[in-house]
Amino acid sequence: MLVQSQAAVIARNETWSGTVATEPHEAGWAREAIFFVRALHDAAGAPGTAQVELSPDGMRWVPEGTVFDLPRRADEVTFARVAHFGTWLRLSATLPDGASAVVLVTLHLKG
Amino acid sequence: MASGNSQADGRALAAALRQADPKLSRFDPLPRIITFDDFDKGFCGWTQLVGNYEHSLDSMLPGYAQHSMAMLSTLPQWDFGSHGSFDGTYALKLASKPRKAAQNVTVKRLTFRKRGPLRLEFYFTFKPEATELRLSEADVRSIGFLYDLQTGDADADGARIMPHMRFLNALDGEHVQKWQFKRRTTEVKPIGNENKTISHYHLAPEDWEDLAAGEQKLCYNEIPTKINWHYVCFDFDLETMQATGFRCNDRVFDMSGFEPIRMPAMRNLWCMLNLAFFVETDVDKRAALYLDSVCISGDF
Repeated sequence: MLVQSQAAVIARNETWSGTVATEPHEAGWAREAIFFVRALHDAAGAPGTAQVELSPDGMRWVPEGTVFDLPRRADEVTFARVAHFGTWLRLSATLPDGASAVVLVTLHLKG
Repeated sequence: MASGNSQADGRALAAALRQADPKLSRFDPLPRIITFDDFDKGFCGWTQLVGNYEHSLDSMLPGYAQHSMAMLSTLPQWDFGSHGSFDGTYALKLASKPRKAAQNVTVKRLTFRKRGPLRLEFYFTFKPEATELRLSEADVRSIGFLYDLQTGDADADGARIMPHMRFLNALDGEHVQKWQFKRRTTEVKPIGNENKTISHYHLAPEDWEDLAAGEQKLCYNEIPTKINWHYVCFDFDLETMQATGFRCNDRVFDMSGFEPIRMPAMRNLWCMLNLAFFVETDVDKRAALYLDSVCISGDF
């Protein structure tokens, strides 16, 4: 049997500023994941980093340990690989004062 | 060409084989199974309903911009763990954002081979996110389903037809519990500037009408983390473009007053057979619709 695979757009054309997080994504069936963040426009200021978070219940979140840069220029893409994440995944970020980014975030799952 | 008797024998044999299959025997499909979506097999073609746009995503209507992808879920709960699906590990989960009146929609996109009887059967349940230690039975506003259909390009009665049904569970905190339908949509708006794309938000809160004697109390269970599965069967005739039957669990409803949304045929949608499910929250809390399984069958 072929493994399952899904590409999910989890944030589309969202303007991120301050503290933000994607919606809880349940993916206990998957063994591995990649988050891609694409900037739809040039960021205002320096948007900083995003971090991967795990959860025991989809409501309470803890850092997974993976941190990566948010893209700064239109159509720039950054990403992070994750594995062994349990049931829930999300991406969160705290952008510095004055910074904002319009993003398309995709989650690619396989298992 | 099979004779009438041998055709009847073949149908009886097919029905007997389905009844002997534990996965299918809880359905009553018409002779031809078009799809049988058991979510232990994966997503089965259920995807996000993205709104129409041209040149920029900014042109998407806000009702569509909020949509996100359905997930494969074990119905995991903080207080006891995975609930599991109807007959396996995974169900399809569609969740709203945690904002009052937020909606989400998942869609399966097909076309039809024959204009004739079409039967939709599915098992479903719904719950709010269990962020509070209270019953929360009026936190999910509605769950429902719709077809998005269009006649064939050679048909004389060209039209786009969108039958909608929803179970209005609650509205502004009142535990309503009744089935409704919709015969009107919002104004059709052009998208972009090339005169090729339009959009309308057919799940706007306006224009829902009560189905006759459509009140129904469903099993909700006694805390927000326990679920029970419910059965729905919806019959629609693609020839007449009229609903011909609807039942939920032990109740059979009168569909004589039901009307779908009707609008002029659109240039790129011939023979379209889209099926969508939706969920809507009544409070600032995520609402989730779960499906396991979905069976669409036809008489051809």
